[in-house]
Amino acid sequence: MKQSLRRRMFLPLLLLPLFAGIPACEQADDQPVKVGAVLSLTGPGAGLGGPERNGILLAQKLINERGGINGRPLEVIIEDDGSKADIAKSKAEGLIHGENVVALLGPSLTASTGAAASVTNRIGMPQLCMTGLGPEIELSYKSLFHMLPPQSLNARAMLEYLSKGLNVRQLGVLYDSGYGQLVMTHIENHAGDYGINIVAAEKFEVGATDVSTQAAKVRAAKPEVVGIIATSPVPFRNARQMRITQPIVSAVGSSSYEYVKGMGEFADDIVFPEFIVSEDPLPHQKEFVDLFVKEYGTLPKTYDAAGWDATHVIAQALSEVGPDAGSEAIAEAIRANRYRGVIASFNFAAPDMTGIELESYTYSKLVDGNYTRLPFTAK
Amino acid sequence: MPSTAAGTKPTLLWVAALLLWAALPFVATRHMVDLLVFAGLYSIAGLGVAFLLGQCGIVNLAQSVFYGIGAYSVAWFCARKGLPVPVGIASGIVLSVAMAAVVGWPILRLSGYFLALATLALGIIAQVLFLEWDWITGGTLGIGGIPFIEILGFTFDTPARFYFLVWPVALLLLVLHHNLLHSRAGLALRAMRDEPDAAAVLGIDIHKLKVQMFMLSAMLGSLAGSLFAHYVTFVSVDSFAIDRAISFLLLAVLGGVYTVWGPVLGALFITILPQWLSRLGDIHAFVFAAALIAAVILLPEGFGGAVTNWWQRRRTRRA
Amino acid sequence: MSPDLLFQSVLTGLTNGFVYGLIGLGIASIFRGTRIINAMQGDFALIGGITAVLLLERQGWPMLPAFVAAVLIGGAAGWLLEVLLVRPLRRRGGTEDSYLLLTLGCAFAVSALVLYFVGRDSHALPGIGGEGIVVIADAAMRIHALWLIAISLAVMLTLRLFYSRTSLGLSMMAAALDPQGALTTGINVPLMRTLTFALGGLVGGLAGILVGPLITVYFDMGLLLTLKGFAAAILGGLANPMGAIVGGVTLGLLESIAIVTISSGYKDVIAMVILIIIMIVMPNGLLGRRTRKGG
Repeated sequence: MKQSLRRRMFLPLLLLPLFAGIPACEQADDQPVKVGAVLSLTGPGAGLGGPERNGILLAQKLINERGGINGRPLEVIIEDDGSKADIAKSKAEGLIHGENVVALLGPSLTASTGAAASVTNRIGMPQLCMTGLGPEIELSYKSLFHMLPPQSLNARAMLEYLSKGLNVRQLGVLYDSGYGQLVMTHIENHAGDYGINIVAAEKFEVGATDVSTQAAKVRAAKPEVVGIIATSPVPFRNARQMRITQPIVSAVGSSSYEYVKGMGEFADDIVFPEFIVSEDPLPHQKEFVDLFVKEYGTLPKTYDAAGWDATHVIAQALSEVGPDAGSEAIAEAIRANRYRGVIASFNFAAPDMTGIELESYTYSKLVDGNYTRLPFTAK
Repeated sequence: MPSTAAGTKPTLLWVAALLLWAALPFVATRHMVDLLVFAGLYSIAGLGVAFLLGQCGIVNLAQSVFYGIGAYSVAWFCARKGLPVPVGIASGIVLSVAMAAVVGWPILRLSGYFLALATLALGIIAQVLFLEWDWITGGTLGIGGIPFIEILGFTFDTPARFYFLVWPVALLLLVLHHNLLHSRAGLALRAMRDEPDAAAVLGIDIHKLKVQMFMLSAMLGSLAGSLFAHYVTFVSVDSFAIDRAISFLLLAVLGGVYTVWGPVLGALFITILPQWLSRLGDIHAFVFAAALIAAVILLPEGFGGAVTNWWQRRRTRRA
Repeated sequence: MSPDLLFQSVLTGLTNGFVYGLIGLGIASIFRGTRIINAMQGDFALIGGITAVLLLERQGWPMLPAFVAAVLIGGAAGWLLEVLLVRPLRRRGGTEDSYLLLTLGCAFAVSALVLYFVGRDSHALPGIGGEGIVVIADAAMRIHALWLIAISLAVMLTLRLFYSRTSLGLSMMAAALDPQGALTTGINVPLMRTLTFALGGLVGGLAGILVGPLITVYFDMGLLLTLKGFAAAILGGLANPMGAIVGGVTLGLLESIAIVTISSGYKDVIAMVILIIIMIVMPNGLLGRRTRKGG
């Protein structure tokens, strides 16, 4: 009987190592500097997380080729949150306490950012997220920084173009219940300031396969211009199929080569207030675009650039104060840095924790499936 | 083998399991403990789905609704209004049970695939309302700043600490469930499932019983959701979408709906396996699906059923 | 609200309704032949759609052969599903729920494979009649949508005739309704079940190339289509071959009219509430006969 008991105890003991992790190694001078990243690589946010990963990996490669962080290599450990806030929090926990990372990049979605920030905020760990300013509570977080502008700025960049670029007053909007809803709230808030009248606003669920009826409703309101804010090509197709012939103005989150492909022959006469036109990069974007094309064989867009910028910002701060300086010192270095990124000039000490200005927007227009830079700039 | 050993061996096994359970948070990585906490939460919600299916034959694709109500109640009462923790959990349960009664009364007259579709429709409705009623739920942005649970000055603010909160609750519920099945009500349930016509003749109000079980299941879903909110301290609509309801059903069937602790095995499977597989890179989603298919084909009665069968075969061989 | 807009919403509702109905038709066919609810019907459409995309875009095939190949691949997928997975599960005593989970697992697997090998882009398949539209009383409709409706109706009628007039169809029905009896009359019951799945796969593959031009083809389109198709099939009554189309059109019109008359945000709420009410009021489905409630 003793024997059989031992055998029974043995099985659970065998299982133990399955749950246990590898003990953390002592940090030596040539040990890599670990930075964690939580991105949406699967689920509805994967259109953001995938490009962000590309940008991060490219930046990591370049930084290490140029000597790393004070001679130590930079290692970005990337985890997928499946586009879910609760998983983002778990992954952030794991990276911070399991991998002992010194800073966190991401997440890709606003809700995930809020969830992960509740972890980093408790211990003051620097977090560079790939989203714009989220719920109000984020204003009280001292170590959270945004790589993208707040949605109010995206809304104003769009309204600037409508009122000064197109000189129109009657706006109809098609927007999804996720990203679209976030921007739409601010378009409603600011439309009056620009003398713009919203004649129709139609919503559809994220991932909708057909929004023809909503498009028809917008068309029936006879707007002078139609705004489409969504993370899919569907509304752009449906709008044109429903014979919306007016110019379409969109937002930075809707601008991606993936969506352009899905739009097919309808990828025409659509304007995006955004940050990078890789076909015609600005001088300070050239190096990034060239390296990106060399590495991946495709052109980068905003979220590739956000990953690249975030990695550079954290690398600069770590080099400056040293990777072991502690969260507070690293966060302070990020705040003091005025980083000229591919996306924009950042000032993380600004109240919105990003400091992107309207002047940083570049206006692009899709003509026959190709992005071209417009001469228009917001002032 | 002497027959006297039969009594002591299972006891020793239980002690060993208990020791292993208590030791886990101290030896496992923080991330693994975190996954185990989620497995505990899902076990509670999945238990509700499992016994509805196992005892009443009801396919419930609406558990995400009650999971969401539990979580949003906590967010609203504790984070927004600053009320104490029990208020949030209790109001979530009251709201969920009331909702289950009101909605369950008409739809539980349906059966078979109609009923499955009706619960699916409920899940879809709730998903939209969670998003649209953003003055309550925070919509896409979500609600942050939910307080941790604190009992007598002890704060459940780390995975390891929460582990010792959620699993005792889950185990208590499993025991209660076990007792329920062996009570008069459990007998009535089994009669209802196996011989509905005879049960009706015996004066069992089948419809009422079904609604009561649906309310009980909703209560479990709500409790799990409330605990979830206090653990993650942040809630947003993507946690209560229809895919969450599908995963609750998945864990119930995988674990086996005829055994009490099947949902625990199912919950461990769906929380830990994908995590473990994600090391394989982008192909991991396919490997998980393949594992699911293999589990369904090889273990038609779920993990719980397979283990029970194995155990019984062992015993009869020894006797 | 203008009458033009209402008319437009009816046209788009009809189009979407036939999309749901076509998926529902596949679900209902498989259910009739095997008593299994196939949760990967939408993924048969993905298989068909992505096959057409790959043949057209990467292999440069002309449209017609590519489409025919896509439909056949859909049928082959149905065949393989039955032979490789459903049959072993039946042998091990599968229950209603385990078949549902099995096919759900297959849906996950197909979606994951497409994501891994083809990527996450949406692909717009060319429509029949290209992107052309017809305008009726200031309401627009894709020419392709008219083809979709016509072909769906043709498929529905063909299936009806197939089941009631051909000996193969009658054998398949007999194998489903009374497997023991069918065996004694010499019908190869397992083969009939396999053929049922192959037929479901063909209908699914066809759905793929027909809905691809409307909603584009992408890796996780399957489950969403299955959900709507499931609703269509149940709503119409699983026992009636015309049911799925009627159920689908009802659902499509409900959604579309909810958008123009009430609110686009609450579209799904309205459609789902009415769906529940219809099920309670008409327990045999819209076209149901005296059958088991809910199938």
